[in-house]
Amino acid sequence: MKFSLSAESVKRIDELIGRYPKKEAALLPVLHIVQREKGFISREAEEWVAGTLGVPPLRVSEVLSFYSLLRRGPAGKHVIQICHNISCFLAGAEEIVGYLESRLGIKAGETTADGRFTLVAVECLGNCDHAPCLMVDDDDYGPVSREAIDGILKRLA
Amino acid sequence: MADRETTLLAAGDNSFRLDAYLRRGGYEAARKTLLSLKPREVMDEVKKANLRGRGGAGFPAGSKWAFVPQTDDRPKYLCVNADEGEPGTFKDRAVMTRDPHLLIEGIILTCYAVGIHTAFIYIRGEYEAIARRLEEALGEAGAKGFIGPDVFGSGFGLEVLVHRGAGAYICGEETALLESLEGKRGLPRLKPPFPASVGLFVGPTVINNVETIANIPLIFRHGADWFTGRGLPRDGGTRLFGVSGAVRKPGLYELPVGTPLRKIIFEHAGGPAGGQAIKAVIPGGLSAPFLTANEIDVPMDYESLAHIHSMLGSAGIIVIGERTPMADILRITARFYAHESCGQCTPCRIGTTWISKIADRLASGGGAEGDLETIRDLAEGMKGRTLCPMGDAAAMPILSIVEKFGSELAAAIARKKDTETE
Amino acid sequence: MNMVTIEIDGRSLQVEPGTTVLKAAEAIGIVIPRFCFHPAFEPEGSCRMCLVEIEGLPKLDLACATVVREGMKVRTATPRVVEARKDVLEFLLADHPLDCPICDKAGECFLQDYYDKHGRYASRFFESKEKKKKKIAIGKGLLLDRERCVLCTRCVRFLRRVTGTGELGVFERGVKAEIGIDEGRDIRNNYSGNLVDICPVGAITDRDFRFKTRVWFLEKGRTVCPRCGRGCSIVVQSVRGYPLVGNERRIYRIVAAENPAVNGHWICDFGRCGQHDIEDDRLTAIAVNDGGRSAGLQEGRPADWNAVLKALAGEIRTLGEAGRGTRLAVILNSFLTDEELGMCRKLFVDILGVKDIFLVDPKPGEADGLLLTADRAPNVRGAAVLGLGPKPPDAARLGESADMLLIFGSHLLDHLSPEQAAAALGGVRRKWLFTAHRSALDRLVDVVLPTAVPAEKKGSFTNVDGITQSFACAVRPRKGCLPEAEILARLAAELGVKLE
Repeated sequence: MKFSLSAESVKRIDELIGRYPKKEAALLPVLHIVQREKGFISREAEEWVAGTLGVPPLRVSEVLSFYSLLRRGPAGKHVIQICHNISCFLAGAEEIVGYLESRLGIKAGETTADGRFTLVAVECLGNCDHAPCLMVDDDDYGPVSREAIDGILKRLA
Repeated sequence: MADRETTLLAAGDNSFRLDAYLRRGGYEAARKTLLSLKPREVMDEVKKANLRGRGGAGFPAGSKWAFVPQTDDRPKYLCVNADEGEPGTFKDRAVMTRDPHLLIEGIILTCYAVGIHTAFIYIRGEYEAIARRLEEALGEAGAKGFIGPDVFGSGFGLEVLVHRGAGAYICGEETALLESLEGKRGLPRLKPPFPASVGLFVGPTVINNVETIANIPLIFRHGADWFTGRGLPRDGGTRLFGVSGAVRKPGLYELPVGTPLRKIIFEHAGGPAGGQAIKAVIPGGLSAPFLTANEIDVPMDYESLAHIHSMLGSAGIIVIGERTPMADILRITARFYAHESCGQCTPCRIGTTWISKIADRLASGGGAEGDLETIRDLAEGMKGRTLCPMGDAAAMPILSIVEKFGSELAAAIARKKDTETE
Repeated sequence: MNMVTIEIDGRSLQVEPGTTVLKAAEAIGIVIPRFCFHPAFEPEGSCRMCLVEIEGLPKLDLACATVVREGMKVRTATPRVVEARKDVLEFLLADHPLDCPICDKAGECFLQDYYDKHGRYASRFFESKEKKKKKIAIGKGLLLDRERCVLCTRCVRFLRRVTGTGELGVFERGVKAEIGIDEGRDIRNNYSGNLVDICPVGAITDRDFRFKTRVWFLEKGRTVCPRCGRGCSIVVQSVRGYPLVGNERRIYRIVAAENPAVNGHWICDFGRCGQHDIEDDRLTAIAVNDGGRSAGLQEGRPADWNAVLKALAGEIRTLGEAGRGTRLAVILNSFLTDEELGMCRKLFVDILGVKDIFLVDPKPGEADGLLLTADRAPNVRGAAVLGLGPKPPDAARLGESADMLLIFGSHLLDHLSPEQAAAALGGVRRKWLFTAHRSALDRLVDVVLPTAVPAEKKGSFTNVDGITQSFACAVRPRKGCLPEAEILARLAAELGVKLE
């Protein structure tokens, strides 16, 4: 099945590439656009991106493996990133992680069986004065309590 | 002049909108400067203001700009470092969220001073919402001709792009940022050559932190002398001190450079939380050597902190209470650097994970005699030996924990040993 | 040009501006240890093994990347420097597998060598090692062992800078960083063997050499590769006496030798496979067929060189006496050394008056734009200089023009099928073959004389650029073979002529 993106994504990508001195510099932004639409970067997507930017497919593969936010396989409908660095730890992040794990029935790093949620424990999200904090997709939450978690999960149900 | 903004932290729900920014006196300084001063004069004024970089290294901004050769015709670039990955740091987020136009105005002034026509804002991938806000603000500014081919009708052209990272702390290191921006893995480069001579796409490049650039419009609004007056003669302006951890009022506090740490923690951030005493304080983001409770009278400026063998860094203050086991802090610190190591050079690639494994063992009660000495030796084997400053960033805080809280860690090891022999 | 004066370990020296500390040190015999640095590439600076002390600078600095400055004082062996080297080794060995007993690189491994010199500490790594894949086929018989890999990235850089093919990359980050190929795009280029040469440890090995021997049993002989017109410097590595169980294998591998004027640091895989030319399908005894009996030799009985060459001389003399000096034809090749070709010319053309001197080489191939030339013989230029260019015989008319044919090498079969060769040779009354390898020509001639291959000879070749390179015998000739130079000298002696 040939890889293809929505017309809108292709348009955005074309416009984006045109603004860089060299096409290959647009690699991360292009991968973000692909991942936003498809949920992850497939092998076919890698080849397509490589061809579009004029870089070897190996480069796309290397880059994909280096950066934490880029995925090779599908994630849940919602990705929950919970910080477990110092300030969040001091505010009780480990208990919150445990609570989330028990509410979702998975361990950090896994996706729920129904495909709704992926839970990842991450390093500092730059929101330390709202510790313990987490992100659900692009949205910041913090400080999160068990009640707050309940509310978030209920809203996304 | 009084109603013109003097703060980096704009207030109000709509502070980020262009009309609100204009009402605060926004873009006037840039317009006047571009239409009446020469680039050289702009650079000199920034030098005079003694604005030191706010990203962590503290290099004087004006001097960094001056390294860019003005005689060759390779395209020059500005990279605004909005990667904000240093644990305990959340100031750039606030500036970009609340006052994106302040940043844009700073970019205009910076680029004009150095002769740069293309600026990239390298923003960490997690800050997607903020990236969109920046793009909206850039759209507003562009529509008014504040950026574009003819800024303020001065003939100066400037394009600004927002470029998202994708989750790698190391891309906050300036040369790794360049590599990432060029579409590669974020591996730091060997220096020399320095970015000012060979940077983005081999062109001369200035890399400055968000907060650094956000200060530039203030300098031109109110003058270099005003700026140094707000801080210290050799280290002008205010800093956005981020306080988090075991304090009653975590948050951002804009205070003069040189404000004593104790004052920030107790008078502004409400003092330690949970009725406990302070055990340790990280003064400048996780990469700064830890301070004990006895060391918090230090003034928060580069020289004073360097004098006590720590650093101002990103001014991210984390307060650790007495009830927190330092073994956990060590574990989390070591884990962070192991996770973020790019893997390029031997000492950091191996050392960070090795230390992390020992620290994990130690924190879960599996510590053994000699572990602390091993950690110390490994960290010393990283210090000053790595390809980029991250080796030191990992080694220094870890060394400070082992040195200053060694007896607590040793006691924990001994306790385990005792329970084993019983 | 103004030279720069510096001091290394108390010794003063002058070097060209732009020289690195590492290169300057080498000039006075100080070899600074390194993993990632390779003289063919720009400094990488990632292994951190070459850190040295430079007076006036607070931190240790990289010898590979630091350019000398006037008055610089370098120290390469202070306690601080030695400590730094020990630390790098300790880091590298932390996750390194205990493979030495089965690793082919043992005996020529940087880790082993440096540990011996700069390591020597008690291990204090009590954690679990990072587990990685140990036998990944990356193409062309090469195997990658990620646990042994020290991430020097020489292999990655070689494929990007030298072959431009970029099959290898570095994936993941931190301690999880690993070398890998793009799925389905393994290494296919003609220079893959160099990856084994440049890997400082046993991370990249070759199936051909894996588990076959130990490097400390190898005798090394430098010579010139004979497989094309480039004349790359190679080292033929052979074993005598081990293993002791009668296994005849002698040649274990060919590696590149450095030659700035010709091949730099590399050789191609085609040349590397030349080990099979030295080893396989070799003739080891003089073979006498039906027609040989008429020369007084007995078929099937092992003949000795003296008797055979005496018989050959006799035949040639007979031919000449009968007024048919022009009825001797010779087919040469460009694998003969300059000296041998000179002897051929002297003996056959000048002394014996042979008119039909032919020269047949393997069919040319495609030059690969790097080292491999279109010519697939080493001395085409050398032959040309002596007026002996490629000249195939007219196969159909060979019998008409020649009563006796001396054939050097079996390259006729690169141009004629065995049937065509049989037809061509069928019309020639007397046929003598001087060759190293078994071929279909063996049964088509009267006598087959086994010759040495270039690696077993001394002499010189003139390469495609006109560079004449002398080489010594790299490996002892197989029993029963003689170099052509020796054969020609003895033949001349039997004929009573001098070839000086």
